[in-house]
Amino acid sequence: MNLRYTVKELYYQRRRAMVAAFGLSIGIALLIILNALSIAYRQAAQIPLKEIGADITVQRAGDVPQELSGAVFPCSAVTLKKDELEKVGSLPGIKGMGRALLLWVFDPERAWVVLGIERENSIGPAVLRYSVADGRFLEAEKSEALVEVAYARQFGIKLGDSLSISGREFPVVGLVDASRATKIAVANVYLPLKDAEALAVASKQLQSVSPYAAGDVNLVFIKADQDQIASLSPAMKKILGEKAAVATPDSFLKLLGSLFALSDKFTLAASLIAIVVAILIAFKTMAGNIAERAREIGVLKAVGWTNRNVVFQLIGEAVAQCLIAGILGLCLAIVVSFGLSFMNVSIPIPWEMSPTPHFLPGGGDQIFKTLRLPVTVPWSLAVFAVLLSVVIGGMTGGLLGRHIAKIKPSEVLRHD
Amino acid sequence: MINSGILSGVDLRKSYGSLEVLKGVSLAVDPGEFVCLVGKSGCGKTTLLSLLSGLEKPTQGRVSLDGKEITSSSEDELALFRRENVGFIFQSFNLIPTLSAWENVALPLFPMKIPQEQQRQRAMEMLEKLELGHRTGHLPSALSGGEKQRVAIARALVNRPKIIFADEPTGNLDSATGEAIMSILRRLNDEDGVAILMVTHEADLAKQADRLVRMKDGEIVA
Ligand SMILES: Nc1ncnc2c1ncn2[C@@H]1O[C@H](COP(=O)(O)OP(=O)(O)OP(=O)(O)O)[C@@H](O)[C@H]1O
Ligand SMILES: [Mg+2]
Repeated sequence: MNLRYTVKELYYQRRRAMVAAFGLSIGIALLIILNALSIAYRQAAQIPLKEIGADITVQRAGDVPQELSGAVFPCSAVTLKKDELEKVGSLPGIKGMGRALLLWVFDPERAWVVLGIERENSIGPAVLRYSVADGRFLEAEKSEALVEVAYARQFGIKLGDSLSISGREFPVVGLVDASRATKIAVANVYLPLKDAEALAVASKQLQSVSPYAAGDVNLVFIKADQDQIASLSPAMKKILGEKAAVATPDSFLKLLGSLFALSDKFTLAASLIAIVVAILIAFKTMAGNIAERAREIGVLKAVGWTNRNVVFQLIGEAVAQCLIAGILGLCLAIVVSFGLSFMNVSIPIPWEMSPTPHFLPGGGDQIFKTLRLPVTVPWSLAVFAVLLSVVIGGMTGGLLGRHIAKIKPSEVLRHD
Repeated sequence: MINSGILSGVDLRKSYGSLEVLKGVSLAVDPGEFVCLVGKSGCGKTTLLSLLSGLEKPTQGRVSLDGKEITSSSEDELALFRRENVGFIFQSFNLIPTLSAWENVALPLFPMKIPQEQQRQRAMEMLEKLELGHRTGHLPSALSGGEKQRVAIARALVNRPKIIFADEPTGNLDSATGEAIMSILRRLNDEDGVAILMVTHEADLAKQADRLVRMKDGEIVA
């Protein structure tokens, strides 16, 4: 291949080269954008769980308590036994686990959602440590309470107040802004896990629905190997039974309800169609361009170019053209992706994952996690798209070149 | 007799379907000889040229060029052979429109393993020789007809061929320019000793050749 010839050809025939490149660049841009969107949705779906430091959450549905008095479990989160969790913890791919105990406490003068949390764990509601709006976080070995900021405001609870929960006293040491931190496992009051356990052990109502012993919990947060998450979900259900609810990024993806989120097959099919149409357009325009040069090809052959020489020259031109198309498409896709990254998505948080009694204010409302769709073009996708263009160029050039190279050089002796 | 000349064709026949265009033509050209081929339109001059130069294969008969029997060669072998030994000049110049004058001249060298700078130098030398040293960077579209044909002649010479085939090289030029091109070809033939087989319609030009070959209806008559 003669590079000088290639460059001159593309430069002086730039209009025709651009027309051929344009179709392909649109296809490449579509391919990149579709996949960038798909990746963005996937990343968005991880965020609700990531906020709480987890990849998976586990709980188990149970029966509705007969009478709402004292501490009870929400029907969406009943006892997960200590020994069951030990089995879950030893599944391959699990890197860490956080526990919490979610209670509805019905006291004569007030009902509240109470969450017993671990004090130190990077997985689970202990991440609230970073969302203390006033006062301080829980300290070791102390029976004290954190109150959600909005709830405290509504009921006039202040730092230093003492809360009486099922007959036990807890001084309020901090106000936390849970809404800023996470949408999962939000409560009105946060207690040390030990104290919540004591409330659960002491509650007859709770015990009658779902027998409970200290050390059991009803919410589990799991950090796992990314590529094992899909297989962990059924494995956990095997241990915990069919009533276990395992939430993963995939389950959030389904909740997003977008075409991209619903199936990667859609993205694949749409990308394929975009690319095939683009290839056809590029092929057709390039075929026209090359056909116009039949005489030129004849001259090359007459002055001693072999078929191979001709084919390689045309492959070189096609590759250069498609490389330009690929880069053009990539630039276009980057611009469009930037635009799309201003788009907001609202991820619905299932009620089970943040159960508020429906008779409490806002209890029946659907909670959403709203975020900007993180659309970016990953390097791997960019490189793939440009490489794909080059391959398309090589194949188109090869195919068209081999065809046109068959021209008889004697044709050039005939003048128009 | 067959291998004595630079070029010889023996009993060449060419048919397109049922149309017999050449009916047994034999022609030999000696090294350094300037031969003009004349005859009515459609009598088969171009066809004969394409057989003798290895652009096309005869239906029957043999061609040997510079001692090599080319009738049985493959298409690629012929291409390589033309690259080394043959130059072409066409009526319609056939310059590549996107390449400058010197690049057009260097075109036959492009697929060779010669450094680009050397290719350029050889092309420049040829253009100097044809008094086009001042137009080396111009595109064909910026050149006059006579200049285009001089560039084409430089291209035909750049591989230092032993023989040049020219099919009506003055056909697209006015008579004065045609005359000038003819004198260039004469000069190259005299000074460099390159053999030339040229087809022409113009009797004035044909007279200047060493030998005149006349064709009629696919046969040589004189
Ligand atoms: N590829 C082809 N297929 C069919 N017929 C052809 C082909 N090439 C040439 N011919 C025919 O062969 C005959 C001779 O053509 P050729 O081009 O050799 O004539 P010529 O002597 O060069 O004529 P001119 O002086 O007009 O250039 C013509 O009748 C032409 O139509
Ligand atoms: Mg002719």
